[in-house]
Amino acid sequence: MKSIRIPNFRGWRILILHQMDDNIARLSRQLERLGIDVSVNWPVLETPVADAQMVFFDGDKTYEGIFPWPAGEAPVPLVALMGSEAPGRLEWVLQQGISAHMLKPIQSSGIFSTLFLAQSNFEMRRQMQHSIDLLSDRVSKRPFVLHATVEMMKRCNLEEEAAFSVLRSAAMNRQKTIEEFCASLDDDAITHLVRAFEKQKNSSAG
Amino acid sequence: MVHEIPIGLLYSTTGTYQAMGREALDGALLGLREVNNDPDIPFAFIPAIENPGASIENYRRMCEKMLREQNCKHVVGTITSISRKEVIPIIEKHDALLWYCCPYEGFECCDNVMYLGASPNQQIIPLFQYVIPKYGRRGYFVGSNYIWGWEQNRIGRELLHACGGETLGEKYLAFDDIDTEHLIAEIREKRPDFIFNNLVGTSSYAFYKAYARAGETDDFFTPSNCPIVSCNLIESELPMLGDKAGKGHISTASYFDTLKTQASLEFRKKVAAEFGTERNVSSDMVTGYSSIKILAAAILESGSDDVERIKRVLFDMFFDSPLGNIQFDARTNHVGLHPVIAEITVRRDFRILSYSEDQIIADPYLVDFDPVEFATSVDPKQKAASPLKMVK
Repeated sequence: MKSIRIPNFRGWRILILHQMDDNIARLSRQLERLGIDVSVNWPVLETPVADAQMVFFDGDKTYEGIFPWPAGEAPVPLVALMGSEAPGRLEWVLQQGISAHMLKPIQSSGIFSTLFLAQSNFEMRRQMQHSIDLLSDRVSKRPFVLHATVEMMKRCNLEEEAAFSVLRSAAMNRQKTIEEFCASLDDDAITHLVRAFEKQKNSSAG
Repeated sequence: MVHEIPIGLLYSTTGTYQAMGREALDGALLGLREVNNDPDIPFAFIPAIENPGASIENYRRMCEKMLREQNCKHVVGTITSISRKEVIPIIEKHDALLWYCCPYEGFECCDNVMYLGASPNQQIIPLFQYVIPKYGRRGYFVGSNYIWGWEQNRIGRELLHACGGETLGEKYLAFDDIDTEHLIAEIREKRPDFIFNNLVGTSSYAFYKAYARAGETDDFFTPSNCPIVSCNLIESELPMLGDKAGKGHISTASYFDTLKTQASLEFRKKVAAEFGTERNVSSDMVTGYSSIKILAAAILESGSDDVERIKRVLFDMFFDSPLGNIQFDARTNHVGLHPVIAEITVRRDFRILSYSEDQIIADPYLVDFDPVEFATSVDPKQKAASPLKMVK
């Protein structure tokens, strides 16, 4: 049975980029109840974000250049505190790559689930981005695989599937993806592979 | 003329969970009469009573009426989490205070609610700390198919996981489903160390009875070998288990009526005088009663029933109640409690097995829960002191 651990935010630090007011006092109190250390900054994010696990910000008053990172590249999950639902503001907070939002006025309910969702969304997006980077890299090296396969077919007189299979096991032996391996092959390396293949064929035949 | 303060009492005394609603309402009314008869108290509570009949649409409307038309600033009431969550937005809108008296699954902390019911760290954790060293760490979980059953079992699973134990099965029944034979069959096959029961009402009673019947031909199904343990069985339900089906099984609550503390004995006398000597006392009745007494004391202290002024004095006050010496925690708005663990006897009452002399501070989000400390506390080889957060 799969078990998700009870989310626990004890010992976390959260930065709030928002003017101090009743909403923020309520939000801070609820966060502190969860064992979280809170810093409220406005209008400059003075507390180093490296020490924090999440940033809440004013979705109504923040503007281009307020964050010390390019739009969409926040190093921690962002939560927008929204009063206005005007399309321009929605577009702006979306560009920042928010992981969750909360509507003002802030109530005592909803904060725990927002923390949980923001953290999970951020983590999921990071993992997806990682997978996409890996796959893009592999796709960009696909022509090398094609080239190496054709060479092996020609020089060893093999069908396409057999040629590919020689390359794949050679890549596996070197603990590389087939794309990485083929991208690293120059002409000498292919000749070396051909010889190794011929030698193995002869020894298994003899 | 005596100053009159209207108090809303919002309990379902008809419908599915009427037994609990009646207990809590009777407790609140007993407290209210005591306050009104006290010559030293310069005000009188005027009850505004509504019965939503366990129908969720009624809660919102009736609560609104109490606050808007009857000028209540305080409402004592609601049993289920669904009904509590239904009235909270109205309570917040009017900046009133809801006094909530039932054990619940935690993960809530509203500024406009005072919580007198037990949070998970005041019920499941002490229960498992008692049960695991005695019976083992392999549990079989049953529950009614709604948030109470799901969340209780989820925390239970987490606790067993933390100490290297396992959940051998987890089954849910619809409300009022009394077909429990398939649970018995699975238990017979899996042979757990204990059963964690979060069934409610008729399903729960049917399960105890089926378990006892299985015990007539199979020694495995005896409480000394594999007890049924639960967090929501109250005194008035014991007769529903029949003569013997409950005997030896274990339960926890913030109060049992066999508790021999001075405050408990005095409270039982009051209940006997009011309702007759046959009347059992449950934790629901005691918390209903205590909420009114605490509110009266806080009004006396602050000189007003204004919510902000009440909250300014409340967290510094100690209350000597049938629940023990208790105090509200400003960090969570929840009251500290003294969890009791007991076993059911053939006399259809609870024999006390353990009582926490120390007040256990509520931790509704399990912020201070530490899996390693928990594992140490249930390891029979360790003689470590109790790891629960305690205050003297």
